[in-house]
Amino acid sequence: MTTTITAACTECDAPITFDRPPLNGQVVRCADCGAELEVTNTDPIRLELAPEVEEDWGE
Amino acid sequence: MSTATVPRQSLQTTPATDEQATDLLVDLVATPSVSGHEQRAVEVFAHHAAALGYRAEIDAAGNGLAWRRGSADDKLIVLLGHIDTVPGDIPVRLKNGILHGRGSVDAKGPLCAFLAAASRAELPEGVSLLVAAALGEEAESPGAHHLATQLRPDACFIGEPSGWDGVTLGYKGSVRMRATVTRDNGHSAAPGDSACDYLFGWWRRVEARMGELNEGRTGEFDRIAWSVRGISSENDGLHDVGELMAGYRLPTWIAPEELRVKLRQIDHEGVKLRFVGDERAWRSERNDAVARALTGAIRGEGGRPHPKVKTGTADMNVVGPVWGCPIAAYGPGDSMLDHAPNEHQKIDEYLRSIRVLTRAIESLAQEIR
Repeated sequence: MTTTITAACTECDAPITFDRPPLNGQVVRCADCGAELEVTNTDPIRLELAPEVEEDWGE
Repeated sequence: MSTATVPRQSLQTTPATDEQATDLLVDLVATPSVSGHEQRAVEVFAHHAAALGYRAEIDAAGNGLAWRRGSADDKLIVLLGHIDTVPGDIPVRLKNGILHGRGSVDAKGPLCAFLAAASRAELPEGVSLLVAAALGEEAESPGAHHLATQLRPDACFIGEPSGWDGVTLGYKGSVRMRATVTRDNGHSAAPGDSACDYLFGWWRRVEARMGELNEGRTGEFDRIAWSVRGISSENDGLHDVGELMAGYRLPTWIAPEELRVKLRQIDHEGVKLRFVGDERAWRSERNDAVARALTGAIRGEGGRPHPKVKTGTADMNVVGPVWGCPIAAYGPGDSMLDHAPNEHQKIDEYLRSIRVLTRAIESLAQEIR
């Protein structure tokens, strides 16, 4: 039996569904508004708007 | 799964104290190790590794290896740093919590942070660690090329400066090219192109073609970048020779061999092309297990993670395509100081990065066990 876990999008409040227990640092996309959200806590689940990927030079 | 055949060893190390971690960094930065001349620094690395309880080795290529090895069947996490530096004698001094010296950022800071953090990490049964001090990353990466064939890890951290709260997901690829034109000599007032005129005409076609390939692409990481790295000419009275050296930085959507084909498809009659130093771009996804472990660990230390991609290259370009395992680069220091005359490492950031890495190793080990 699988358990579906849900949380609310921090931007539009739409439900975010996890088929498996989320992991810290995991990034998910809200199907409604497209926002990328980072899992910052797993118990209870806390989501934050994920930082954007920056471009940098060098090694 | 690892294919290395290392006998069973103790997993136990002595957790490096902040003072030991700082001494390690100072010692290694004070030991010059320009690419091709790393032997003494590898010995210093191995000495510190052994003192912390690692099984320290120097492999056939000359890389320094520090093992926390349980069983040959264990899952293997490799922390791959590089021990060589670019030239440049910067007096080594530790003052007001800042260590000045060549390699303090690129990349002895990240390498020493790996060794200290891996000594502290509590590992579950079934997971082994290897900290590798690779040779020649600033040259042709002979150390990483050797390790790429010897190991098959389950996850890999690459040691390069990202800042204590940064996670580097990928690096662009690279190709270098030498183009040569040889023409019969003639009077400079006579009609007809000189070798250099001819060369510049061809180069303008190259630039136009690269621009076409980039159409619709936004962001520096997603575009081909090119630059002229040198121009020379000579004339012996019979022949007029022009030579142009160029470098290309490649996004993930074009491999070095594809670029070479496209360059040869441009009309280059009379232009002899030679290519060296192919490196393919490599980028992990944000949900890569190593990137996630680092992201969570940075938050655990009170930071806001900065995921980034870089336009330079690193040993990730060498081992990423071969190993195909979760991989991300991390290390203390500001990469703006890479190769710079004022290269320096802040010790508090260095120590903080060790705490981040310790958390990241532990959470990753739990995940992959």
